[in-house]
Amino acid sequence: MMANLDFKATRSLQEALDFLDTNSEVKVIAGGTDVMVNLYKENYSYSGILLDISRIEELKEIRQEEGWIKIGPLVTHTMLLKNELLEDKFPVLTAAARTIGSTQVRNRGTIGGNINNASPAADLIPPLIALKAEVKLQSSSSERLMPLVDFIIGPYRTAIRESELITEIKIPLIKEKYYSNFQKIGRRKTLAIARINIAIVAIIDEHKVIRDIKIVPGSATPSPRAFNKLEEAVTGQEITGLNLEELGKLAGEEMVALTGERWSTPYKKPALSALVKRSLTAVIKEVEGDGENQN
Amino acid sequence: MEKIKINLNVNRLEYTLEVEPDERLLDTLRERLKLTGVKEGCSIGECGACTVILNGEAVNSCMVLTGQVDGSQVLTVEGLEVDSKLDPLQQAFIDHQAVQCGFCTPGMLMSAKALLDKNPHPNREEIKTAIEGNLCRCTGYEQIIEAIESVAGRKDCKE
Ligand SMILES: Cc1cc2nc3c(=O)[nH]c(=O)nc-3n(C[C@H](O)[C@H](O)[C@H](O)COP(=O)(O)OP(=O)(O)OC[C@H]3O[C@@H](n4cnc5c(N)ncnc54)[C@H](O)[C@@H]3O)c2cc1C
Ligand code: FES
Ligand code: FES
Repeated sequence: MMANLDFKATRSLQEALDFLDTNSEVKVIAGGTDVMVNLYKENYSYSGILLDISRIEELKEIRQEEGWIKIGPLVTHTMLLKNELLEDKFPVLTAAARTIGSTQVRNRGTIGGNINNASPAADLIPPLIALKAEVKLQSSSSERLMPLVDFIIGPYRTAIRESELITEIKIPLIKEKYYSNFQKIGRRKTLAIARINIAIVAIIDEHKVIRDIKIVPGSATPSPRAFNKLEEAVTGQEITGLNLEELGKLAGEEMVALTGERWSTPYKKPALSALVKRSLTAVIKEVEGDGENQN
Repeated sequence: MEKIKINLNVNRLEYTLEVEPDERLLDTLRERLKLTGVKEGCSIGECGACTVILNGEAVNSCMVLTGQVDGSQVLTVEGLEVDSKLDPLQQAFIDHQAVQCGFCTPGMLMSAKALLDKNPHPNREEIKTAIEGNLCRCTGYEQIIEAIESVAGRKDCKE
């Protein structure tokens, strides 16, 4: 314990923003599942002020508004995976939330914390990027919107300013019929901090042709991003005719092109290939299932 | 380092406490309230030994600062027994030899209790999901799952 740590809790967003505006060395804590691990690792020697936002009710909503689904940053993983609107519109997010940590971790950990912690292996980030999510950042005097993919600027680094909070995550509704999938390989079975994961969101027409696709692996690159070469290779193709073996390889090559050879490459390259194959196979199955239902 | 004044309902008793800024719910329960059934294993959310029920949800008390939970309700393993009668889960753990060294047991019981309070008749998968964050080095889980299943199947289990 150090003598220079302070703690402030608030249930009001305005109060939280004003507090951030007038104090320096403030560390925001929401569910605490990342912050508490860091505090422990630093032997609780953190100096500054912890600002607890976990009780701000207005940041815990999930709702549909115009063409968007809007998610409050304090929505927990448990709330995400139990939400029927989300399961209906964006099952890929539900699937990712279901794989996080354990029941206890899902009950505390939040979507805002998962995003701002910006772990390369964070499970919600690939599906959110694939869904073209945007984050709303608010301070007491400003408000801005940013695509999530730009908000995450590196491992454990985001574009947030000291005076800002994430106050909303918004995802555009997809008008066309689309398919999606989330896969993850963890090192441990029970508590798998994802070593590698992938989210796919694909608009596929009635001829089974891929019109638009987002393929976003997590922890393959320093921060999750779309694999554009891979996307280009499959766009315009009939999904049932894809050469999965080739595409798995291509994904591995694109990863190395983006990151260079690393100590983890010998593990990650085949793992990513396997995940790409697995997730595309799952989408193909779903497309074929739909085709049969129509006949 | 200013102390924080909070109210807490623990095992159906009201407390007003002054806690440290970096005091975890785990510390408050074990050190201030002497509820040493709450165990500290890994301290980083991995083992579940510190599991308590916070406002109806199973949480790791090592991951919660007490200052965050002013006005909340907490249930620990000590609160499972009512009028010196064991909770059916506790009895089932004994009957099914689900306790060996016992270190994981309080956390395991609280995860199981949180599950049954919400879902009185869970299937095996739901039971596994509920306790996936509770590590047991001794039993291999089978007896624990059976103990929970036996309570989940009981007709007099509260709805
Ligand atoms: C045992 C264990 C297993 C885990 N397993 C997984 C897993 O499988 N997959 C996975 O993705 N993650 C996993 N995690 C990580 C963690 O649970 C998630 O990242 C969680 O979503 C973080 O949310 P939180 O509310 O707990 O964040 P906190 O720890 O409270 O905060 C995290 C960071 O975000 C900032 N922050 C929080 N909310 C806001 C906001 N609204 N605005 C601005 N900044 C904010 C904080 O300042 C801090 O920097 C695991 C953690 C543990 C302890
Ligand atoms: S001591 Fe809290 S989870 Fe291990
Ligand atoms: S009984 Fe020993 S750890 Fe579970």
